[in-house]
Amino acid sequence: MNPLIFTTILMTVLLGTMIVMMSSHWLMIWIGFEMNLLAIIPILMKKYNPRTMEASTKYFLTQATASMLLMMAIIINLMHSGQWTITKVFNPTASIIMTSALAMKLGLTPFHFWVPEVTQGISLTSGLILLTWQKLAPMSILYQISPSINLNILLTMAVLSILVGGWGGLNQTQLRKIMAYSSIAHMGWMTAVLVYSPTLTMLNMLIYIMMTLTMFMLFIQSSSTTTLSLSHTWNKTPLTTTLILITLLSMGGLPPLSGFMPKWMIIQELTKNSSIILPTLMAIMALLNLYFYMRLTYSTSLTMFPSTNNMKMKWQFETKQITLLPPLIVMSSLLLPLTPMLSILD
Amino acid sequence: MMTYIVFILSVIFVVSFVGFSSKPSPIYGGLVLIVSGGVGCGIIMNFGGSFLGLMVFLIYLGGMLVVFGYTTAMATEQYPEVWVSNTTVMGVFLLGLLMEVMLVLYVLKGEEVGVVFKFSGVGDWAIYDTGDSGVFSEEIMGVAALYSYGAWVVIVTGWSLLVGVLVILEVTRGD
Repeated sequence: MNPLIFTTILMTVLLGTMIVMMSSHWLMIWIGFEMNLLAIIPILMKKYNPRTMEASTKYFLTQATASMLLMMAIIINLMHSGQWTITKVFNPTASIIMTSALAMKLGLTPFHFWVPEVTQGISLTSGLILLTWQKLAPMSILYQISPSINLNILLTMAVLSILVGGWGGLNQTQLRKIMAYSSIAHMGWMTAVLVYSPTLTMLNMLIYIMMTLTMFMLFIQSSSTTTLSLSHTWNKTPLTTTLILITLLSMGGLPPLSGFMPKWMIIQELTKNSSIILPTLMAIMALLNLYFYMRLTYSTSLTMFPSTNNMKMKWQFETKQITLLPPLIVMSSLLLPLTPMLSILD
Repeated sequence: MMTYIVFILSVIFVVSFVGFSSKPSPIYGGLVLIVSGGVGCGIIMNFGGSFLGLMVFLIYLGGMLVVFGYTTAMATEQYPEVWVSNTTVMGVFLLGLLMEVMLVLYVLKGEEVGVVFKFSGVGDWAIYDTGDSGVFSEEIMGVAALYSYGAWVVIVTGWSLLVGVLVILEVTRGD
């Protein structure tokens, strides 16, 4: 793509999300969502093969349906409250429709079916933008309407998302689909605590974005999209095998790494609100996630599967330099001792 | 009949929307779009928005729909689909008509036709006041307010339209 046009379109994606996050008028928020959707389509379609076109079409259809539902919720809110400002949505019908629309945009169950298919059909960099940046705008709207969200619907969607994200990722060997199911599960964790403490949702979003950025950049650096290809990184850059190990275990939520911080805080906040069964179930279902992360680490850094000598070499000989990678790796694994600093958020 | 003119126009509006949603060939879709545009203009005019209605005719029907008509005329097939040529299209059209008839009967049974939005207050609208709102039409004041209080909206929508054109060109470029 022409670099000037590509820059313009990328800046429009950023502008769309910024408009969503900074507007106080519902119509501007809707315009921001549409601008974001419109501008990310050519980014998803960077290569012109039928798979990317199919993935972008699926993405466009689901997100446009979600925008239509959002507009309907906005109009119903307008009919019953007579104003356009972002406050809690007082009418229960409008609130439920809006929650469903934002869940469709985020990829929560039962609207999760597009996430693995779209993520698989596009390139790694586009998948990175899809799974990290595109989650910011709907989550900011959920944050702003969080006092009025129907708890039953949101918790049902959250728990089912964690279940689907864990279970669905079990049979995958394609790395993009694994990251997609991991995204579904993390969105479930984020929305589970939204009604109780929106600050923890934002904390989880921050740490999730850092860890997903790290994982995707490690995949981009070794140009690997399957588990088999990832298992050959020991031959190319042996250091990245250790880094993949650490980052994957952090994504699974294991204690001395920073991925444990949001899960710990969320479980603590849920138990403070006297729900015991729910965080137990969530923690148990996070084990499914941990299983397929550990399977990746097993094949990448812990074992070398027996193979013939010509399969051991990867064909790509020039190294990519990703500047942001070392700070991201550090941040996605070593942030746990900073947990007491969370008290400044109150 | 004149007291219920808005209701009748809105029924024609919905019927023409059903007409193109049942997906005949785009030429016929454009035909009912013209009808729906004209009828929509009539609805807006009945609420006092003469400027907006005329803008619908001029820009929408006279600009965008003309270009749409030319492009579909270039890309049309030898036997385009009408509403009665295909069982599916006719079925969807009749289903839409049936639902509209049921809705009309429900509205008429309730003995009130003024079933439009009920606003409960002025709320957050920025009041663009020329100081003497009894003489000027407030709708033109709203259009003028678009360029003063609503400058950010104009910038955002203008930018989205520009990026929309860039995106469409980029997507249809192929390789």
